Amino acid sequence: MLETHVIQTKGFKNVGDGEATGFQLAVRCPYYRGMWASLIEGVEVTVDGETFDSERIRWTLGRETYATAELGERTEARWAFEEPALLTVERPGGLDPGLHEIEVAVTWRWSYIPVEMQPTTNISNRKLVLVR
Amino acid sequence: MNARTEIDFGVSLYSYGGDFLVTMTLEDCLADVADMGATGIEILADTHIPGYPNPTAEWVEDWHALIDLHCLTPTCYSSWLDTRLRKDRTLAVDEAVPILVRDLELAHRLGFTIVRPKLGVVSLDLIPDPVWRETVKRALPKAEEYGIRIAPEIHAPTALRSKIVDDYVDLVRETGTEHFGLLIDTGIFQTEERTGTHSDSVYIFGNPEPALREQVAREMSKPVAVDPADLADLMPYVVHVHAKFWDMTDDLMDPHIPYDTVVKALVDGGYTGSLSSEYEGARDLYRASDMLRRQQTMLRRLVAERAAVAT
Repeated sequence: MLETHVIQTKGFKNVGDGEATGFQLAVRCPYYRGMWASLIEGVEVTVDGETFDSERIRWTLGRETYATAELGERTEARWAFEEPALLTVERPGGLDPGLHEIEVAVTWRWSYIPVEMQPTTNISNRKLVLVR
Repeated sequence: MNARTEIDFGVSLYSYGGDFLVTMTLEDCLADVADMGATGIEILADTHIPGYPNPTAEWVEDWHALIDLHCLTPTCYSSWLDTRLRKDRTLAVDEAVPILVRDLELAHRLGFTIVRPKLGVVSLDLIPDPVWRETVKRALPKAEEYGIRIAPEIHAPTALRSKIVDDYVDLVRETGTEHFGLLIDTGIFQTEERTGTHSDSVYIFGNPEPALREQVAREMSKPVAVDPADLADLMPYVVHVHAKFWDMTDDLMDPHIPYDTVVKALVDGGYTGSLSSEYEGARDLYRASDMLRRQQTMLRRLVAERAAVAT
């Protein structure tokens, strides 16, 4: 099951062996349907005012992990509606344990909305606790 | 009241947008639809089929078991033809056909008899990408083999008297096919302004000037106010109806869409398909189940009343 919020409580943690190399966030598809990875145009994560752009974020969709720039070629990979994407954000040392203010902006294309109004962006904000 | 009508009362699981996988599983949704006495089930392929477009055999088996358990009938399988799948160019016909055929195959495996491919558009007034025509024509033999009707959706702000609808009808006339028709979203009959939340309000559409963005936002929620009487000439082509709504009052009236005249046009036109409730209002948890019951009650009353007059 999922939480209503795009940014899920479960999955927010530091990653890396020994010294943390970054942190991870679980983000559910902000659309009302799952989407093909190639429709994703970019992502931006902001934690406590520090912004991380697409180049520093990798996507885990199902069992595969991609750099954001690779997604455009992945016309058969899916950000499934039922399975949040794991965003791995590069930040040497990771984040300090405690409450963090998080913003995630995801941008993608809709085919059935006039191109003049594309791409589409969803911005979600949430305070989340990082335990370790 | 002993109405003689073959209209089916159904529900699109799109209605449970806020609850699906948060408070309700797929099984919960199906049980809820059955509990309110509805029989037709519409799904969004990309949303409600885990592992789409390759669900496991076990899931497909479970789907059929649930459909049987709740005495439901799969109606419309709503899919998307993402013509902008690639950033640098739109899809060619050769790329679009396998996508549509894949959905026809999966829809057939799940027992659906209508497939709605949501087509990509090429203009501000939603003219579909021209690849639709050849793509549909090439997929028609599969649709025929499976007994499926392909039905693009006529959705606001598209009117019934429009080039878009004319072009769809023209394909039927040209090919004589019985496997292509129209899906009417009753949002086109909306006459009253909406003030409440629209489920798409969380999205920022596009990057251009705020003025253009505002204009499009206004256009998107503006009543198109198509006259339901315009359905008369089109009824032979109408294969499915989304009974769109954003709210229902405590006295079970729709504050935005004149359903009495919509139902009159459908019943008088001999419609025998499904009225597939499509709730698109506020996504507060647990709200959809209540709203659906309100609308289904109204629809049943209106259909029975009109059928009684008609006989």
